[in-house]
Order: sequence, then structure tokens, then C-alpha cells
Amino acid sequence: MTDTTTNERLAAAEALEQRAGKEAAERSAVAGAYADDPAHDHHITNTGISNPKLAMWVFLGSECLLFGGLISTFLLYKNNNLAGGPTPHDVYDIELTSISSFVLLMSSLTMVLAVSAIQRGEQARMRLWLVSTALLGGTFIGGQAYEFQVFVKEGLGFTTNSAGSAFFALTGFHGVHVTIGIVMLLSTVILSAVGRIPRARAEAVEIVGLYWHFVDIVWVLIFTVVYLIP
Amino acid sequence: MTTTTTGPLALPSGTDTGRPNPLGAFARPTAATGWRSWVSTVDHKRIGIMYGASALIFFVIGGIEALLIRLQLAQPDGVLLSADAYNQVYTMHGTTMVFLVVMPIGAAFMNYLIPLQIGARDVAFPRLNALSFWIFLGGGILLNSSWLLGGGADGGWFNYAPNNGVIYSPSRGIDFWNMGLIIAGIASLAGAINLIVTCLNMRAPGMKLFRMPVFTWMGLVTQFLLLFAIPVLTAAQFLLLFDRLFGARFFDVDAGADPLLWEHLFWIFGHPEVYIMVLPAFGVISEIIPVFSRKPLFGYPFMVFSGIAIGFMGWGVWAHHMFASGVGPLSVAAFSISTMFIAVPTGVKIFNWLATMWGGRLKFEAPLLYSVGLVTMFTIGGLSGVTHAVAASDTQQTDTYYIVAHFHYVLFGGALFGFVGGWYFWWPKVFGYKLGDKVGKVNFWILLVGFNLTFGPMHILGLQGMPRRTYTYRDGYGFNLWNFVSTIGAFTIATSFLIFFANILTSRRKAKASNLAMAADPWDARSLEWTIQSPTPAHNFDTSPTVHRLDDFWHRKYQENAEGKVVRIARSEDLVQPGDPTGVHLPSPSYWPLVIAVGLPFVGWGLIFNLWLCLVGGLLIVAGIYGWILEPADAPAAESGHHPDTGPGQPASDQAEAADGDRHDRDEGTESEEAALVD
Amino acid sequence: MSLARRAGLLGPALAVAATLAGCAKDAPQDTLEPEGRFANDLDNLINPIFAVAGVVFVVVLGGALFIALRFRSRNDEHFDDLPAQIHGNNVLEIGWTVVPAIILLAIGVFSVIAIFELNEEPPDDAVNVQVIGQQWWWEYRYDLNGDGTFDEIVTANDLVIPVGEEIDLEITARDVIHSWWAPKLNGKRDAVPNRTHPWKIQADEPGEYVGQCTEYCGLSHAEMRVKVVALERGEFDTWVEEQQTDAETFATDDTSEEAEGYRAFTGLLCNSCHLVEGVNDDQFSDEDLREFQRDVAGGPGTITDDELQASGHAPNLTHLMSRSTFAGAKFDLRRNTPYCRDLGVDWADEVDDVERCLDLGALEAWLRNPPAEKAMQAEPIPGRSPRRGMPNLELTEEQIDQLVAWLITLK
Repeated sequence: MTDTTTNERLAAAEALEQRAGKEAAERSAVAGAYADDPAHDHHITNTGISNPKLAMWVFLGSECLLFGGLISTFLLYKNNNLAGGPTPHDVYDIELTSISSFVLLMSSLTMVLAVSAIQRGEQARMRLWLVSTALLGGTFIGGQAYEFQVFVKEGLGFTTNSAGSAFFALTGFHGVHVTIGIVMLLSTVILSAVGRIPRARAEAVEIVGLYWHFVDIVWVLIFTVVYLIP
Repeated sequence: MTTTTTGPLALPSGTDTGRPNPLGAFARPTAATGWRSWVSTVDHKRIGIMYGASALIFFVIGGIEALLIRLQLAQPDGVLLSADAYNQVYTMHGTTMVFLVVMPIGAAFMNYLIPLQIGARDVAFPRLNALSFWIFLGGGILLNSSWLLGGGADGGWFNYAPNNGVIYSPSRGIDFWNMGLIIAGIASLAGAINLIVTCLNMRAPGMKLFRMPVFTWMGLVTQFLLLFAIPVLTAAQFLLLFDRLFGARFFDVDAGADPLLWEHLFWIFGHPEVYIMVLPAFGVISEIIPVFSRKPLFGYPFMVFSGIAIGFMGWGVWAHHMFASGVGPLSVAAFSISTMFIAVPTGVKIFNWLATMWGGRLKFEAPLLYSVGLVTMFTIGGLSGVTHAVAASDTQQTDTYYIVAHFHYVLFGGALFGFVGGWYFWWPKVFGYKLGDKVGKVNFWILLVGFNLTFGPMHILGLQGMPRRTYTYRDGYGFNLWNFVSTIGAFTIATSFLIFFANILTSRRKAKASNLAMAADPWDARSLEWTIQSPTPAHNFDTSPTVHRLDDFWHRKYQENAEGKVVRIARSEDLVQPGDPTGVHLPSPSYWPLVIAVGLPFVGWGLIFNLWLCLVGGLLIVAGIYGWILEPADAPAAESGHHPDTGPGQPASDQAEAADGDRHDRDEGTESEEAALVD
Repeated sequence: MSLARRAGLLGPALAVAATLAGCAKDAPQDTLEPEGRFANDLDNLINPIFAVAGVVFVVVLGGALFIALRFRSRNDEHFDDLPAQIHGNNVLEIGWTVVPAIILLAIGVFSVIAIFELNEEPPDDAVNVQVIGQQWWWEYRYDLNGDGTFDEIVTANDLVIPVGEEIDLEITARDVIHSWWAPKLNGKRDAVPNRTHPWKIQADEPGEYVGQCTEYCGLSHAEMRVKVVALERGEFDTWVEEQQTDAETFATDDTSEEAEGYRAFTGLLCNSCHLVEGVNDDQFSDEDLREFQRDVAGGPGTITDDELQASGHAPNLTHLMSRSTFAGAKFDLRRNTPYCRDLGVDWADEVDDVERCLDLGALEAWLRNPPAEKAMQAEPIPGRSPRRGMPNLELTEEQIDQLVAWLITLK
């Protein structure tokens, strides 16, 4: 009697173990790079980077060329105010732009903190840092908007002259990218609030972070090339 | 093994367990047959077929435009088309052929074949793949809607500034061109991201990069070219859009703009673009020639590296389109040299293809005929290309019919010939029946003759001083005879394509009537797509193949015996996978890519006509994105034991969207990998 | 006919055709028959390269042909009898990489040398002409006194040069990108607004050399033609002097047909676009022109005012009758017969010659309805595009006769 019970229990335990193992294997197979155990992260894809993360890197590669084209255009036209009005250099307020640049740089820090939080499973903390990032990004956009309307008041608009067109096109495209980033950040916050971003899905936040850092780096480049270099 | 239950036209994708849809409209569609299944498909094979079919329709449109050109130019002082009409026709002909024909045909082949050739179940992002197709189609429709809405674009396919501005092109045609191509560019970019991640990440066990077929390699290089070239064109097109719609000053001559800005931006895209068009065709014939020569591709590593070299060097030659533009002797000299050298890797390929055939056993069925057609016709185009590289003399050649001859020889004689060969080659795999070979041969010869009659004389016309993009020419300039001959050739080409379409119809009818099954490996070929049933089962591979070397399938069929002779050791039938979909879970279909894609042309029409339409388009796009995010990752499939969808693994956002399908098969992949290791 | 035969015949066929075509007499834009020093240089540069290309063509296509025939499988059994499965040969690979590279390098060296040689500036005393492209005609302005302004002679359609000398061209445009090309004299050079491109030509023999605009520039790109007239030095000097004289004016009480035509010209809109020195030139600096155009058009505006020409200019007519073409050289002003051609730039000096050689029908048709003769945007599109081209002034036949009579006086 005891034997049968023991055997049954053993069998049941074995079955449980097997199922658990199978489920774990399925989870890791299925969740792939989102698996709980970091050791299981990188055996699914040939490169070891998950599909979404690789896709983001590849996409950012293409973005380099987009901004490259716009930056080149700006470099060509930066001093061209033949149609009248001031050049961008005439109306810059470098101090203000430095401050908003610093704000954007700080947002990259808070982004890193957000990713770090979710990797430790700290949902609320992640949301805090994500919201901070979004706020800092929003402050940057606000600063840009303020700066642009000052420029327009001082006579440099999008259609005033070639330099104006080039300046606003470049910074405008960047601003749109930041804004889309803010939407992504806030979407992540909301999805986290409804429980759809567990620790296993930390990589999703990391990918948003990649995008955000890229947008930041582009700004560093723009700030240097457009504002600082005479 | 029947042809109907597992073909791309019949197999249900996604399993329907009859559970109620918890989110109502957001549930995944489950149609398995009929137009709804095509419209919601995320299957890379169906998407490839749709790319190909759309490209053929646009080819007919572009072809009619070409025939109109040739009718107008058949005689001096032609009266068929006014100057304005002609300018629209030639612009739309070029734009259609480049963006809506050759590129999508390449996309068709790459979408269909790359996952198969690397042993994958689908691409990395199936819904994104569907999105790419529908966006492309929308862009093409938007571009061609110009014909009905005020006239086609009339600035030439490269649309130089300042002629492309409102003052000099006041009609809306160029706005359609601009918007249509920005939209099509989004499609190409998304496709590039998808296929790059697929190639790099989703290869079957043992499929190292240097075991991938050359077609896949050329596809990978092409996708990288697209990835980096399209954004440059997009930037230029946005600048033009801002000028035309909002009065910006990028190309405003009175504001001191430099028109060469457009030229540089365009050609930095434009030159990689021509390699984007031709590399997939190079890949196609690299698959065909070995099969019909009974020998491996000669110099596989060199074929791969020359393709990569072309990809890199293609970025350094753009200003050879600008030798007469006044860029200065130093630039001209530099680009002349770099253009000379890009001929080297291309030449390497020509020699390798010929060396593959050397010493082989050649069977000149249609695929090989077209492949040799590419090799010979592209050589002619390549040689005239080298003469263009001589920058000083190019000032006599550029903007004449000599250039028109050159690019038609490399793009039509090159890319298109290769693609038609590819159709003949892969048709049995895709559709389960072969295209008639006798008719195929007639098709080829008529096309070869017609093609050379059309474009051969253009070399002469150009050297004799006939400029391109001219709606008419005068008597007494020596242009009459060859223009007339060229027109005859153009109608010969048209005839050959009528024969091609007829071949499709009759072959299909014959196949249906006979009800014979198509073999999995009808050509005794070398790569993985021939190891599964024809037509390709929806799930591709029953189990993930394990690859031990290049041309793995071939080496399982043939081996060297004791005397060193290569003999068959196994029948294809014994080696191919039977096509059993049990336990396979495919990515579920979705309508949302279509919804998003429909929104984009509305934004385009809105920007041209009425901003309220932009709002409609915008709403569709936003709705589509949210629908995409919120729909369940899968149609319900509780019993199968594969349940990533309802657990924590649920995709959270667009960016983090996991590939729906590939996850499920990693089990099988790892299993067979383990099995292989045990072997 | 087999693949082999067909491909084999194609090459020689094309070669024969090309040769025959080159011999064609009526090929006035033939780059293979240069008639100027620089075009000659280009021809000499490219001919050996054509030859090299021809050799490669024969080798590759002949090779393909040979392979197709030699290794064709005879039957299915033969097809299934697999040949040696050669995977590659590094020596061959290196060979057919290095050898073409060397050949291309050699060609490249010649190419670069030619680029810099052809870029050398013409001598300081070369005739200096500014070439200005606009939709859809070419203006030629000469700087005779070397002061950097091209104002001594302003003419259109026919570029008159001395034979046997290097001519220093400064090519630019007023609206969109055009390209100036006289194939028998040199390659082409783009005319880009806001840029000036130096170029040079030299005609070996006296004569007329035709060409076309070769950068798509809109509606009448195909009818924006170039004509270069090369004269012996003495004749050229005479031409220069005659070009710098003013047109005759007519007294208000003069009732001759020419005088009526003169009054029609100055009274109608013609005045606002066409300059005739001695008649309306005191208003004709670029800024003055625009002001005058504004006044005539009835109100203040900028150069992009719908009523005005986008380029702000139409051909200078002062010495119209010294030219052989008009309307962007689309039409012959002087009939293209041997007798009339022989008369050269002075063809309109004698009344009989004018009778004989003026293409009166063409000129009248143009005045009657220019947009019907040449595709132009002769009416503005309000808010989008100003007038680009000569409008239909709805002249009466009488006015046309008068204007023609007066135009004939512009020798």
C-alpha cells in the first residue's frame, strides 16, 4: 500500500517536475530573450541579440543617414540669408539651448535608471524614472518650442530664408523624434501600470531606451554642429 | 501527397478553436481561404506573391507608357503626344519601372525565398512584413492616381531642382510623385529592417553566414543598401515637400539656394538604388546556373565578397551621374576613378558565372536561357558603363540616348532578365506546376531579339547626339532609322510578355486539368527550399533543418565514390520533408497592417487637396497602430501547449513586438539541433 | 537559330551599323565626327576605350557562346552524368580581379589626365562669352573689354565665334538647370542657376554647329536649341562692330510700315520683355527691366509677379536679322538652303536676299500665336507659377505685317 502511494507520489512528483521543466523550457523557448534567467537569454537567435533589439539597432542605423542628410543640408545653408532676415547664428541664445541640452542629457540618465529598475523587477521605480524621462523630454520640447517662437519673432521663420528652412527642418525632425519617444515612454508607463511589463519583459524597456539614447546623441551632434560651431 | 491542402492558397493559418473573442473587433482574423485570407495574411510567401503580382500589374502600366514613348518617337516631329503629355509619360515610365516594378519583384523573391533558404518558419516580424507590402501598394496607387487627378509627374524620374518646384512644375503631378515615393520608401525601410534581422537572427542550426546561398547573401546586401539609401532620398523628398507645400527655401533659386543639393542627395540614394535593383537578380542566377550546369557555383566566397564589395563601393560613386554638373575637376576625377573600380567586383561575378558553366552539363531550359541572357546583356551594359566612367568623354554621352541604352541594358537586360528566369525556376515551388518550357523558350528568344532591337540602336542614337527626355526630334539629324527600329523592338518586347502571360494561363490550366502533383525537387537543386513540398506548405518546414555545409541538400543527394566520381546516393523524395503541419503554430493573420497602410495615401491626398483627408488618414494610422498593439498575439490555441500569448510573454508595444511565429519552433529547432549533435 | 549564332551575329551587326551611322551625312550632332579641338580630344580619348570594350565584348560574349555550345548536354543521360564538381580556383579569381583592375586603372589614368587638361583655362585674350540658359532659349553676352561685365553684346540663339580660337564660356542659368551642348565642338556643361561654370569650345573650320539643351528643363526642353556660328577672324570682328550699333528709330510722323511696326513694338507688351538697343534700352539694366515690367504690367510687384516672365528676359532683338534662328533656335529665321547659308551673318543686308531667305511663314506664325508654335506656359497660373514664355498677344494681321516689316530693319 505504502509502496503504491509512494510510487504514485513519486510518479506525480516526477510528472510535476517534468511539466515544470517542460514549461520552463517552453517559457524560455517562447519568451526567448525575455526569459527570467539571464543565462537563458541568448541561445534563441543566431546573433544572441533578440529580434526586436536587433531591429531597433538596425533602424537606428537608417536614422543616422536621415539625420546625416538633414545635417549636411544645414551645413550647406547655415549662412544663407540671401532672401532676407537673420541667420540662425544671429538669433541663437546659446545659454538657453545649453540648459535644454543638459535637460535632455539628464533624461538619458533617468532612462538608464528606468531600465535598471525593471531589470531588478522594480515596477513602480521604473515607472517613476520613465515619467521623469518623459518630463525631462517634455521640458526639452518646451524649451525648443519657446526658442522657436523667439526666433520667429526675431525674424527667422521656416520660410524666411534657406538657413531658416534648414535649421527648422533639422531641429523639427529631431523634435518630432523626441515627441514620438515621449509617447513611447508614456505608453510603456501605462502598459506597466496594467501589468503587461513584468521583469521578464525588461528588454522592451531597454529597446525604448536605445531609441531614447539615440535621439539624445543626435541632439549632442546637432547642438555641436548647428549651435556651437561658428 | 496532394497539392491542395498544404499549398499557400489553401492552408489555414492560425487555429480556430471557436472560443469567443474577448476583445470583439480586436480579435485576430481566422479566414483561411478567399480574399480575406490574402488581405489579412502575414505569411511571407503570400506577401511575396502579392509583391510579384502587383509588380506585374505596374509593369503593364509602365510598359504601356514605354510603348507610348516609342510610338511618339517612331518618327521625327511626332504628333501622338504633346510636349506636356510626353513629359508626364516618360517620367511616370521611369518612376514606375524603378520603384513599382524592379524593386518589388526583388522584394517578391527575397520575401518568398530568404526564410526558406535559411531554414526559417517566417520572417522576424510577420505583421511588419504585411505592413510593408500594403504600404508599398498604397504608395504605388497614390503615385498612379495622379493620372486621374490632374496629370502625372513631369519632372523626370530624378526630378531635379529647381524644376521640381511649384513655379516650374505648377501641376500637382510632382506632389503625387513625392508623396507616393515617400510612402513606398517607408515600405522598403520596414522591409529592410525585417529581412536583415531575419537573415542575421533566424537561420536554422548550422546555417552559418557562409553557408547561406548566394541569393540570400545578395538579398542581405540589398537590404543594407536599402536601409541606408532610402533615408537620404526621404530627406530630400521632405525638403521638396516643404518647399512645394509650405514655401520653404531649400531649392528656391531667388533665395540663393544651390540646386546641386538635390542632385547630391538624390544620387547618394540613386546609385546604391541601382545595385538594390540588380543584386537580387545576380542572386537569382547564382542559384539557377549551378543547377542547370550540374556544378557548384564557381568561387562561392568570391561571389559573396564581390557582392559585399559592390555594396560598399556603391556609396562612393554617386557623382558619376553629375560629371557635367560643374562639380569641379577634382571631384570629377575622384569619382571617375571610383567608378572605374566598381566594375571590378561586377566583372568577377561575370567570370564566376561563366566558370560555373565551364565544364558543366548545360541544359538550356528557360531558367538557364534567361540567366545567360543576364550575363551577356549585363556585360554589354557594364561595358558602356565603363565608357561613361571616362568622365571627360562622358560629357558627350551623358543625358543622351547612349545613357538610356546603358541603363536599360543593365536593368532590363540585367535585373529583369534574371527575374524572369527566376520566375521560371521557382514557379513550381511557389504554385505547384511548371511554366511551359517550350513556350518559355519562344518567350525568351522573342524577348532577346526585341530587347536588343529596342535598346541596341540607342547606343548609336546617343553617340550621334540625340538627347534624352525630348518629346520629339527633327528630320535631318540622322535619328530617324534607329528610332523606328527601336519602336519595332519595343512592340516585340510587348509581344514576348504577352506570350509570358499566356504561358502562365495555359500552364495553370493544364496543371489543374492534369491534377498531377509537383515534385518537391523538380530541378534536382541545391538549397533548402527544395527540401520541402511543392507548392510550399504554409508552415515551410515540418522540423527545422540542420545544416552541415554549403549546399547541404545537394551533398545529401550526391557524394564522391571510391573512384572520385560524383554519384547519387539518395533520392530527393527520400530526403524531403513530407509536409506535416502537426504541432506547428504559425503567426496569426491580422488586418491592422492593411488599416495602417490605407491611412498613408489619405495623408498624401490630404496634403495635396484637403487637410481634412489628412485627418482621416491620421486616424486610420493611429487606429491601426492601437489595433496592432492591442490585438491578442495569437488566435486562441489552448490545447496545443504552446502558450506564450496569454502569459507574461504578451507583447507590450510596437517596438517590443516579439515575432509571433518563430518562438514556437525553437523547440523543434533545438530538438533537431540536439539530434544532429547526436548524429 | 541557336543562342550561339544569334549572339554571335549581334556584335558584328551592331559594329557595322555603328560604322555606317558614323558615315551618315545628315548627323549634325554626331559626337563621333568632331569638328572642334576639344571634341576631337574627347573622341581620341574614347575611341581606344571603345576598342578595349569591344575586345572584352567579344571575349565575354564569345566565351559565353563557346561555353553554351561546347558544354551543352546531349541528352538526359549525359545531363545526369555529373562533371567534376569544381568549387573554385583562387589563381583564376585573383587573375580576373587584378587584370581588369589594371586595365581600368590604365583607362582611369588617361581619364584623369584628360579631365585636368580639358579643365585648363583658355588664354586671357580669348573671346569671353556668358551663356545664360532660361526656359526655353539661350542668351549670349560678350565681355569685349575685359571688365568682367558681359554687356558689350547681348544676343540670343546663335553664338557667333571666331574660328580656330579657344572661346571662354561662362555658363549659367536664370531659372532651372539646363545644359549647353554643341556636340561637334565639345562635351556639355550644365547651366545651373546661382552658379557659373567655365567651359570652352573651339571650332576648327568656319561653319555652323548645332546642338541642344541636354538637361531636362520642362515643356520645351526638346526645342531649346544651340547654334554656334564660326566666322573667320575678320568677319567676326566686323560682326562684333555691327552688333554694337543701335537700332534705328522712327519719327512719329513716319507712316511707313516699318514705322508702324516700330510703334506697335513700343506700344504693346513686347516692350516689357524684349530689349532693342536704341529703342528701349535706357530702361534695361536688370533692375530697371524689372521696374519697367512692373510698370507695364500695371502695378507694383516682384519678379515673381504672375504677369511677368519668371526669368525676366526675352531675347534681345537689336540685331535679330543677323541671326539664322529664332524662338530658342527652334525655327529658322534664315532658310536653310545652301544659298542662304552662304550669305552668313549678313544675309539680311540686301532686300532681295531678305525676300529669298527670310522664312516669313515661320516668323508670322510665331507672332500670330507663339504658344501654338512652341510648348510654353504663356499664361500665369495665379498663385503658383508666373508666365514662362511668349503669350498670344492676339495681333491683327495688319499688326503682324507691320511688326515683320520693322523686325526686318533690325540688321
